[in-house]
Amino acid sequence: PATPSLKVGGLDLDYFSPKEYIIGGTTVTGTQYLDKDVLITLSKLTKGDKVVLPGEATSDAIKTLWAQGLFDDVKINIEKFVQDSVYFEIEVVERPRLTSIDLKGISKSQRTAIQEKLNDKTGKIVNDNLYNTTSAIIKKYMLEKGYFFTKIDYKTRKDENAENSVVLETYIDKGARVKVQHIDFTGNTEFKSAKLRKYLKSPKQFTWWRFYGSGKFVKDKYEENKVKMIAKMQDKGYLDASILKDTIYQYNKKKVNIRIDLYEGKKYYVGSVTWAGNAIYPDSILNKVLTIERGQIYSEEKLNKKLNGGGENGGDINSLYTDNGYLTFNIDPVKTIRGDTVDVELRIGEGPQFTNNRITLKGNTITNDKVVLREIRTKPGQKFNKSDLIRTIREIGQLGNFDESKTVPTPRPNPADGTVDIEYAVEEKPSDQIELSGGFGGGRIIGTLGLTFNNFSLRNLFNLKAYKPLPKGDGQKLSLRGQTNGKYYQSYSFSFSQPWFGGEKPVSFGVSAFTSLQSNGLSNGDAGFQKIRLNGVTVSLGRRLNWPDNYFQLSHAVNLQQYILNNYAGYLFSTGTSYNLNLSQEISRDSRDSPIFPKSGSYLRFTIQATPPYSLFNKVNYATASDKDKYRFTEYHKWKFDSQWYQRVAGNLVIKAQAQFGFLGQYNKAVGQSAFERFKLGGDGMQGFDFLQGSELIAMRGYANNTVIPVGSDPTVAQQSGSPIYTKYVLEARYPVIASQQATAFVLAFAEGGNTWNKFSDFNPFNIRRSVGVGARIFLPIFGLLGIDYGYGFDAIPGLPDSNKGQFHFSIAQQLGGF
Amino acid sequence: CKSSFEKLRASNDVAKKYQEALRLYNKRDYSKALVLFEDLSQKYRGRAEAEDLNYYYAYTLYRLSDYTTARYQFKSFADTYPASKNAEEARYMGAYCFYLESPAFSLDQENTYKAIDALQLFINLYPTSDRAAAAGKYIADLRGKLEDKAFENAKMYLTTGPSNVDNYRAAVIALKNAQRDYPDIKYAEEMDFLMIKAQYLYAKNSYVIRQEDRYNEAIELYTEFTENHPDSKFAKDAKQLKADAEVGIVTTKEELALYAADQEKYKQMLIRTGKLKDTLSTKPTNADNTNIKN
Repeated sequence: PATPSLKVGGLDLDYFSPKEYIIGGTTVTGTQYLDKDVLITLSKLTKGDKVVLPGEATSDAIKTLWAQGLFDDVKINIEKFVQDSVYFEIEVVERPRLTSIDLKGISKSQRTAIQEKLNDKTGKIVNDNLYNTTSAIIKKYMLEKGYFFTKIDYKTRKDENAENSVVLETYIDKGARVKVQHIDFTGNTEFKSAKLRKYLKSPKQFTWWRFYGSGKFVKDKYEENKVKMIAKMQDKGYLDASILKDTIYQYNKKKVNIRIDLYEGKKYYVGSVTWAGNAIYPDSILNKVLTIERGQIYSEEKLNKKLNGGGENGGDINSLYTDNGYLTFNIDPVKTIRGDTVDVELRIGEGPQFTNNRITLKGNTITNDKVVLREIRTKPGQKFNKSDLIRTIREIGQLGNFDESKTVPTPRPNPADGTVDIEYAVEEKPSDQIELSGGFGGGRIIGTLGLTFNNFSLRNLFNLKAYKPLPKGDGQKLSLRGQTNGKYYQSYSFSFSQPWFGGEKPVSFGVSAFTSLQSNGLSNGDAGFQKIRLNGVTVSLGRRLNWPDNYFQLSHAVNLQQYILNNYAGYLFSTGTSYNLNLSQEISRDSRDSPIFPKSGSYLRFTIQATPPYSLFNKVNYATASDKDKYRFTEYHKWKFDSQWYQRVAGNLVIKAQAQFGFLGQYNKAVGQSAFERFKLGGDGMQGFDFLQGSELIAMRGYANNTVIPVGSDPTVAQQSGSPIYTKYVLEARYPVIASQQATAFVLAFAEGGNTWNKFSDFNPFNIRRSVGVGARIFLPIFGLLGIDYGYGFDAIPGLPDSNKGQFHFSIAQQLGGF
Repeated sequence: CKSSFEKLRASNDVAKKYQEALRLYNKRDYSKALVLFEDLSQKYRGRAEAEDLNYYYAYTLYRLSDYTTARYQFKSFADTYPASKNAEEARYMGAYCFYLESPAFSLDQENTYKAIDALQLFINLYPTSDRAAAAGKYIADLRGKLEDKAFENAKMYLTTGPSNVDNYRAAVIALKNAQRDYPDIKYAEEMDFLMIKAQYLYAKNSYVIRQEDRYNEAIELYTEFTENHPDSKFAKDAKQLKADAEVGIVTTKEELALYAADQEKYKQMLIRTGKLKDTLSTKPTNADNTNIKN
């Protein structure tokens, strides 16, 4: 900054004898963009005014001008004296003004956050002061994010859009995030330091073996976690626990140490537990639910959990009331401390018991009311029940037409008549799937087109008005799929299902049909023509059970299949027609919390499929009969069992455990094993174009398709025919990467084991082929589930050298490994 | 090579564009006209031609069945040029677009309510208009739709009764609520009849101990029904339900008597064999308590 100087011809004015002058005129020099007259007015050195020199007027003028923040330098010179008059010259050095600060070297979100803090800097001039304050703000922010060694560099650039303006380019070198070497505690006697570090969660102190959550130090997270750590200590009865002081100090260039001085205080115990305001339930019942008794260690967390719960399982005081109509119930725990004892008085406001009245739906722009309303568990006339409300949200989600996270029930109580209206707001989501693919297989191009409509409306099939672009809204499912590579392979299938068949009960009805053909490509009349054609139709009925619990389902199906073989090798007979009429029964229990990425629950399935025992009454002598008679009606009975368990272990990491077993039996030794419906184990389990229908494909990663054949069997025969017995076990760790409405994706690591057998006497569930591997799945609403896995099979299959070791598997639109 | 339309579109000759847009509109080439109107509506802002332009723009959207945008444009026209000779028409068309956007009764009726409000507003603004009568008819239509919804959704509980007994009770309540919400609902007679049916089925599927009261409620509903609808086409069926309910009451009383007799017999046996003291027998047995549900 310049000091005021008053010079006339190089001589200083005499400060000891000030004298009054009249201002004869003031001029301004050095301006570029600023208005001179405005500056003169600001300086108050107006022509005609009286001024004492040397005096305060000139220094005030400099202060005022300086305060504008527009100048790099301000000087007031006396140009000349003419008699009593003085002529001033104001000399300024203008500075460009700052229009914006451009931050470089940091992420977008960091940029936005810093910009907000720097907002009032624009319009000022660029000088050291600006650099210093800007640097301080950025450094402080980066410090909170764990960057202790931020370096900042500046460059100014002329702003093309405004006069005399510059943009400050700020280059930020974040450096590495600081890690934590040690976290030490003092003042702790009851809690071990290791335990406290666990409570603190993050930052974690340095360990050489840690790969994830590498102990980066993030200030605001640390502040949050300190509070949580104290809360955990309080939950163990140490109500007075607190942090006296915490210090963060440098360990080396990249690491810091943390020391936390604690006050543990004493341990508190539960004293008396009393209830007030409860009329509906006696103390004895409430105490039974509360399970907090005199003499227990006092835990705030447990108390809250027992009072207000969380989750739909109940077992807390809140659920006891809100599941029985007491919608406006509230509870207020009043704590009194005596020495190391906490007396708890629980004051309850029961409120009236509410009965459900109007149940309405909002937001269903595609799906018809009844499709949703019939699934809603809160019905008019029932007592309000919160658990039912929560389960309804999940069940609306399971319909597949709505975004589960946006299903919001709003209860509106009318205390006047003790009723409650509940409105369920939903949001439709796209639920149709399309599969369109072209691929190369067996030396030919193969094309697939598959369409699945999950919210179809059959009754509107002929109502053109309802086409948007298809008749929708009745919750029916329609799938169409075709796959062909021309003459060699063709397959077409269709299925339709209706969840409330007849509209009265949740009985699902399904019908499906398929036809497929595989041939050697020659024309029909050719002597060398080989083909297998399969036609099939299935009708099924399923219903939900209320016993043993309401997660059970029972379904029945009748299947009729026709196999037409023409010179087709690899079966028990090569030319002829065979029929397979069977009845299947399945009982399943599905308590998975989500169909795509279950985090908890289980899925159990037991299926029996059986044909009539023709050989008992058809009088065919199977020892002498021709193939044609022998195989005209296939007979077998087939048993399958599948169990899947999902369990969340830590954070979002989920473990899936699965066991499967399948057995194909015969009624009559003379007839022999059925040629159809056998199991083929190994690979991706996908119905590829080279797949012979009439057998069941079971995925097993780490082995090539259909290569896990019984030990000691002839590979060519066993691969063609499949095997009557199989078992498979999977242990899989899954971790979600994306979880949004647009996509769900997760990565997984698995270990699998499985095998096939030809005879029950050979069967040994522990003699298995094993594999391990990793993979990923992505679910896109329109494409369904897509997956890729890499598996490594440990056990060589005799005769099939390429079947194990490293294998890649792709899967589409199905859960890999199911049957 | 650009078509002449594309050339015009890219050009700045607003007058020519305006003429062409009108020509396309009259030729019913609405999608092309729309492109030009959209462009022009920006450029003519604050000029005399803007009024007509806005009017045609709204109609073009309407012709293209984009009712959401059309009703917005009609409303903005009516708000901007309240004195225009077309203001009334625009306000009417705006409300009519809402009417067209009202979905089937089985879907969310938010637009139906909005349409009723918009049409009502039109009638209030132009009570003497020729269009007021049509607007009134549309309102009646929309109200009918809401009645359909209330009726069908209430009936749904009766239809799905076999899946859950509570649905019969829900049906009675929902039918009552629908009548309360729409006092002159066209299905009133049928609804009163269905209420008897639902109540009868509810009673029939209840635990024996609860049946008598519930049958009686069905009979009460029948009495009300005959008072309100003396010559109903449902009279015969309703009477049958009443008769069935009366039989039901007799049966349930017999069953309860038999049950009580059994209990008494069992008690006497216990007393005879010395397993139970007579004084204890006044206490209700567990068997009674298990029937409290439903």
